[in-house]
Amino acid sequence: MSSRGASALLSRASRIRSKLQTALEATVLEVDDVSYQHAGHAAVKGSSDKETHFNVKIVSPKFEGQSLVKRHRLVYDLLAEELQSGLHALSIVAKTLHETNPNK
Amino acid sequence: MTTSLSSILFKGIAARSFTAPLTRSCYHGMRYFATVSNDPDTHDDFKPANKLENSNISLADVIEQDVKDNPVMIYMKGVPDFPQCGFSSLAVRVLQQYDVPLSARNILEDPELKNAVKAFSNWPTFPQVFIKGEFIGGSDIVLNMHQTGDLKEKLKDITSKQ
Repeated sequence: MSSRGASALLSRASRIRSKLQTALEATVLEVDDVSYQHAGHAAVKGSSDKETHFNVKIVSPKFEGQSLVKRHRLVYDLLAEELQSGLHALSIVAKTLHETNPNK
Repeated sequence: MTTSLSSILFKGIAARSFTAPLTRSCYHGMRYFATVSNDPDTHDDFKPANKLENSNISLADVIEQDVKDNPVMIYMKGVPDFPQCGFSSLAVRVLQQYDVPLSARNILEDPELKNAVKAFSNWPTFPQVFIKGEFIGGSDIVLNMHQTGDLKEKLKDITSKQ
C-alpha cells in the first residue's frame, strides 16, 4: 500500500474519474463501482483490493471520428495503471455528444 | 496447484446481468481447448505446447495462425461450454446466435498465452474476439455490433460458406 504513495489516499473510483476527465474533457462522465456484484466470486476472493469492477459511461468530443475499438483502447490506455494494480474489468460506453442527441 | 498460483490464474470476474441473467456458478479447473465446429480436431494443432511457454515470439506466431485460420476466434476465460466469467459468457452467447463455427482458447490455462494475446492486440482485457483475422474487441463491442446489425453483416460471408 505504501508503495502507491499519495495515490493510495484516493479511491480507485476517484482516480479513474480524474484521469478520464482530465484527458477526455467529458461532458458526461459516469463511473460506477459494481464490484459488489462480483464480490462473492471465488475467482476474485484472493484479491485484497475491493475496487475491481467498474462501468464507465463517457460522452466526449475526443471520440469524434473514432471507431468503437479505438475509443475503448483510448480509455484502456488512460487507465493502464489501474488495470495493472487490481482493476479486473471495465465496461465502457463511449459516445460523442452528437450520438446522444442524433436529431441535433 | 498452489494457492498463490491459483489466485493468479483465476483472477476472473463473476457473472453479471445484461439482457439475461447469467449463471452464478463457477467452474474451476477446466483445461481444454474447445470448438463448436463440426470438425473438433481441426484446432488442436494450434494449442500451444509447453515448450512454447518461454517464447513470446512463437506464441505470437500461434496467435497469428489462430486468427488467420479460424474465421471467428475468441480468447476467453473458460471455454464456450463453460465460461468462467460473465463477459466471456456474454460474448460467446452473442456469437452463438449466428450460424458460424466458433473457435476458442482458454487464456486461464496459460499465463504466457494470455500475455501474448494482450501484446498481439494491444488490448488489456478478455474476452477478445477476432473475425476473419480482424481484431473486433471485447464483449461490450461485440454486443454493440450485434445490436446495430454490424455483426450480422461482418459474419455474413462466413455463414454463407457453411
